This record gives sequence, C-alpha cells and structure tokens, in this order.
Amino acid sequence: MTVLSGGVFGSAADDLTDLRALVDDIGARSFESRIGHRGLPDSFDRIAWGHLQEAGLTRLDSVADSGGGPAEVAVVLRALARHAVSVPAAETDVLACWVAGRAGLEVPETGPLTIATTLDAVPYACDAAAVVLAFTHGDGLRVAVCDPADLSITKGHNGGGEPRDVVIAPSDAFIAVEGAAAELTRRGAWARCMQVIGALDAAVEFSVAHTREREQFGRPLSAFQVVQHSLAAMAGDVERARAAANLAVVAAADHGFDSPQTDYAVTVAKVTLGRVVPAVVTSAHQLHAAIGVTIEHRLWLVTQRARSWIGEFGDTAHYARRLGRLAMAADDPWDMIIGGASGSGT
Amino acid sequence: MADDFAALCANELELATLRGTLREFLAADRAEFGWQQSVDAWLSKWDEPFSARLGDAGFLGLTIPTEYGGRGLGHLHRYVVTEELLAAGAPVAAHWIADRQVGPGLLSYGTEEQRRRILPRIAAGRYFSAIGMSEPQAGSDLAAAAMKAVRTDGGWILSGKKVWTSGAHLAHQVVVLARTSPMDSAHRHTGFSQFIVPTDSPGLEISPIVLLTGEHHFNEIAFDEVFIDDTNLLGTEGDGWRQVTAELSFERSGPERILSTAPMITALVRVLAGQPDVDDHTAAAVGDLLAQLISLRQLSVSVARALADGRPQVNEAALVKDLGTRFEQESVQLAADLLSYVDTDAPGRAAVADLIDVAGLHAPMFTLRGGTNEVLRGMVAKGMGVR
Repeated sequence: MTVLSGGVFGSAADDLTDLRALVDDIGARSFESRIGHRGLPDSFDRIAWGHLQEAGLTRLDSVADSGGGPAEVAVVLRALARHAVSVPAAETDVLACWVAGRAGLEVPETGPLTIATTLDAVPYACDAAAVVLAFTHGDGLRVAVCDPADLSITKGHNGGGEPRDVVIAPSDAFIAVEGAAAELTRRGAWARCMQVIGALDAAVEFSVAHTREREQFGRPLSAFQVVQHSLAAMAGDVERARAAANLAVVAAADHGFDSPQTDYAVTVAKVTLGRVVPAVVTSAHQLHAAIGVTIEHRLWLVTQRARSWIGEFGDTAHYARRLGRLAMAADDPWDMIIGGASGSGT
Repeated sequence: MADDFAALCANELELATLRGTLREFLAADRAEFGWQQSVDAWLSKWDEPFSARLGDAGFLGLTIPTEYGGRGLGHLHRYVVTEELLAAGAPVAAHWIADRQVGPGLLSYGTEEQRRRILPRIAAGRYFSAIGMSEPQAGSDLAAAAMKAVRTDGGWILSGKKVWTSGAHLAHQVVVLARTSPMDSAHRHTGFSQFIVPTDSPGLEISPIVLLTGEHHFNEIAFDEVFIDDTNLLGTEGDGWRQVTAELSFERSGPERILSTAPMITALVRVLAGQPDVDDHTAAAVGDLLAQLISLRQLSVSVARALADGRPQVNEAALVKDLGTRFEQESVQLAADLLSYVDTDAPGRAAVADLIDVAGLHAPMFTLRGGTNEVLRGMVAKGMGVR
C-alpha cells in the first residue's frame, strides 16, 4: 500500500519493486543523456519515450489487458518526474486515452498523446501523435481528436521547461460527452500529484548531496545543525505529502477515478502538495544558494516543474475551498477527517 | 473485495465497527456522567472512574493477551481506540501511561509474575503508572541521567531525583530509569536498568511542579535510599537504555502527537458550519487546516501499519512527532482566527473559545514532551545521512 515509496528513506520492498527499478533505470538514462543539453525550452525525449513504449509502460491505465492500473501508473509517473524526463506519460495514459474512449473516438495505438483542456498551454502538442481536445461544457465535455499537423501551434513552455504550446483548433466536429468534466479534472490533478512527489524526492536528494559536498567555513554545509534541521523539515513535508498522495493512488486503484473516495483523496492531496511544494522548493534553493538558481544546475528542472504542476487542473486555493466546504457539510467532521464520510468502512 | 483505501484510513470494517461501539459508549457515558470534552486530555484530565468504566467496557489493554486480562487484539485496534478517545476529548489521563507504555513494556520485558500482578489491573482501568525518566541535569540529553540503583540483599537501593513525572502524585507506581553501574563516558548508554517503584515506598517523596496554567500534573520525585526488591527489576540489568528506546516509534508516531487539539478543531468546524453563507476565504482556511491534519494522520497511520508489520520506522516516527506537534501548536492560532469570523452569539461559540484558551496555554508543551523536536530533527538528519 506504499505505492509511492522512495525518496531519502528508501523504498519498501513489495510487488511494485521491479517496476520501480525499471522506470528508475529509464529515467536515469534519460537524465544522464541530457546533462549539459538542458535549457529553456526543454524538448520531448523521444528516446526515453521509445524505452517506455518498448517496456509496455505508456498505456497501463488505458489498455484493459496491460496488467496495470492506477498503482502502476503512479509508480511510473513518480519515477519519471524524479529524473525530470520530458515525456507526456500522464497526458497519454491517464487523460487523452480515457477522454477519447469516453467519446468513442479512436486515437493512435502507439506514440505520445496529449490533452488540451484549454488552448493556451497544451503539453507537448507539437510532439504528440494526436491532440485530444476536451473542453468543459456544463458538467460535460466537448471532445475532438486532431492530428497536430492540422493545427496551428505556437511553441511555449512552463517554468520547468516542459512544452506547453498554444494551439488554434478547428471549430467543428466535437463529440459531446455527458458528466465527464469533473473526472477529467480529477484525473489531471491526480496525475500531477504523482509527478510532484517524484520532483520533491529529487529536490530533497539533490539538497542532501549538495550540502554534503559543498564546503564553507572549513566544513561541509551538512555539518551545520541549522542546515540539518532544514533538511529534516523538508523530509517531513515530503513524507506528509507522500502519505496524502498515496491515499489518492489507493483510492483510484480500489474505487476508480469516478468515486467519492478518489474525489476526497485528490482534494486532500492537492491542498497538501500545494502547500508543501513552495516550502520544499524554497528550502532546496536556499540550501543550494546561488548555484541552484542557474540554468546549468539540475535543481530548477525539479523545483520549477513541481511549481508548474501544482497549479494545473485547479489551483491550491480552489481545492482548499472545496475541502473546507466538504468538512462544513459533513454530519461529523471527525468522520470526514478519517476518510469515513467519503463512503469507506461502514 | 479488499479495501485498501479504508485500510489506509484505519477504517476497514473491523476497525470501523470498533469505532462505532466506542462512539456509542462515549456518547452514553458522557450523557450519564457529564464529563466535559477537553483538549490535551491525555495530560490533564485524570478521571479514575472513567478509566474504570472504559476498562469494564473492554477498551483498555487492547494489545494485552487475554490470559493477562486484555483483549488480545492488534496494534491498530489500539490505534483507533486511542484516536477516537482523543477526538472525543475524553478524560483519559489516569490510565494513559499505563496503557500506552507500561503494558507493552511488561509484555516485552516483564517477568511472568510481574505480568500476572499488573497487566490485569491495567486492562481493567484500575492501575495507574507514571514514568520517571528526566532529571534536573538530564532533559533532552537523557543519557546524562544519574539516578543510582545500588545492589543490596534481595533488591536495590535507589537514590536521586526525577522531574516532570506526569501524574506521579496520583499513580500507583513509577517506572524508573536508573544507573546500575557508573557512567562510562565512552559508552553513555550502557549501565541503565528499569525499576517498578510503588509510589508508597518508604523514602520516596513526591512534590508538585505547578504549570504556568496553575495546574498540577508534573512532579518532582526525590528518592532517599528507596528499597526496591528483586521482583521489581523490569527486564534485564544493564539493558535499560535499549528497553526504553526500543519501542519509542510507537509513542512518537501515535495519535496523541497530532490530535491534542482535535476536539477544538472539530468543534470549530461545527460552529462554522452553522454560519450562514461562509465566504470562500474562510472555507479555504478551514480546508488548509484540515488538509494538514488529514495528511499528518495518513502519515501516522502508515507508520502504525508498518510498525504492526514489524518494519522499523525510526525516521518516519520522529517526523510524525515533529510535524504533528508543530501542527498542534499552529492549529491554536488558526482556530482563533477562524472563530473571529463566527457571530458572537452563535451557539457553541463560547465553548470553542474556551477550548482555544486552554489549548493556547498547553501549546508550549506539545513540542517538548517526550523529547524536544530539536532532538527529533537531529535524529531525522542522521537518517538522511547528514549527521
């Protein structure tokens, strides 16, 4: 049940151990191959995508007999984010395939896909085999599948260098899907939470490594108690975030994305991670000092991606309001705190 | 179907059922006996008849085997009972230390005679204990403890002083950490042993250390050549340090490191829920407060599950205590700010204001009892490989 395990205190051995090691290997190779070549914007990693596709890891949730589900997807997303691999894995598996399926539309069986819920920050639009447009209409969606060649695309990127393109879409041929808007947002928020855990794990690992190597005043920074306490506080925030995100993984694995359990757990995770990310990012940069704010250092690849991801599919304040209203509407606030009011247990 | 989600919430059917029976008991007991819901009740609300009723109803000694009068259930059963009691603000202080530490300690290290003598009375909620660890010169640095236990015919002579001993003035016994061999500065953790000391032992003098609230929970205990017979050595001579530290992960990661202010928080949410048209900013502040509590609880439950499976959780448990107790402190001002939003004549408002007042007075203790947070952060840093 510790699907997202990892980070500075190591992983639990369980039946996901092999998958973790496999994706970790793909991620580490991607990261190493790009050392010295990273900048703004960063580009789609076609080689890493090829490795993922060969290993059968790109359609885990969306292909019925893949042998995978939300737990496996979460492991993949976390590990890829930990190594800042620039691929639309979440967009393909958790979002685009699902929306297209709900609309009864075909998507290419291989290759990266992406989702456009708005037109001004579409992940990897230039690189995708197909762009799935999914615009909210009431509580439903208007969906179309487009070949990027038929779209007018202006390249852009988020703070972490990931492609976020501006797209001009055709105005015809949309399929209406009833009642899917909330689940699409929940899936997107869920996937970003998994990625954020990977990025935060990397931020803490980088901070430990840097403070052990860097010497000032004649000793490593890690020898200073104030630095040790700052690292411990970061680890605490990340473990708390991991516990919240892990509940969201297990909720989706047990009950599916369209369930009150997953709605509850994603809401809690979004608020938790939304507050943890600024704190951990601030500490990581403070501990790295000036070198950490340069483009040639690796730190920005994880800190700025975490910052970008936490604002997507609903910002932190939005989910905080939802959680507050959920608590005030509960018959027993304590029962809601223990996850009982979302339909589990009794 | 296996429901891992409910299990991660410590709310699977068996545990949810246990919660339900306990909630029914508490509602009926409170209606009959009129105790007030309180914050930080595990330190401050000593109610011996309540503890006895709780024991009679089968909610104490959950992990104690049935042959010693307990329920023979798992660590998670105890976890959910503990958190339900804290959330309800029930007066649990009398049995707290005995049920949390002394019972498990006796099961791990006690003799058969000690178990038969003490465990059934703990499970019955009729035997109360204190723990004597800190000394005037040994606070965060517990290994500096100097209390002496010298071998004599048929037992030991204890001399020295213990401080901050919660509830000793009301308890039947104190479990004392003492040096059975002199301090070796190269091996500071060796030479300690644990003793079970009846509080009516000749030569033992208990005096109050009054809190800044005016309350008396802490004590100073002076040992003037107190004789303890051999039947009251707990565990192995010289193994005391390992015995007291071995199971600290349970204590550090337990619900009481998160939920000391929970009755204040849930009462506040209920009062806010009664306000017409709560604005977005206020709703978000409630959401932020609860996300902290829920995520901390998820971390605590995950540690409890790992410990129940026998997996070590030293770093994670230390983190729960550091994060959880800081949250308890911060929750007081957050609650006060939110209460300011509530109409002055709203039902329940005055009761929440009282809980906030008491929580504010107790708040400085949250991050220091059982070891200061600074010490915990040092341990975590060690676990991260930087110390």
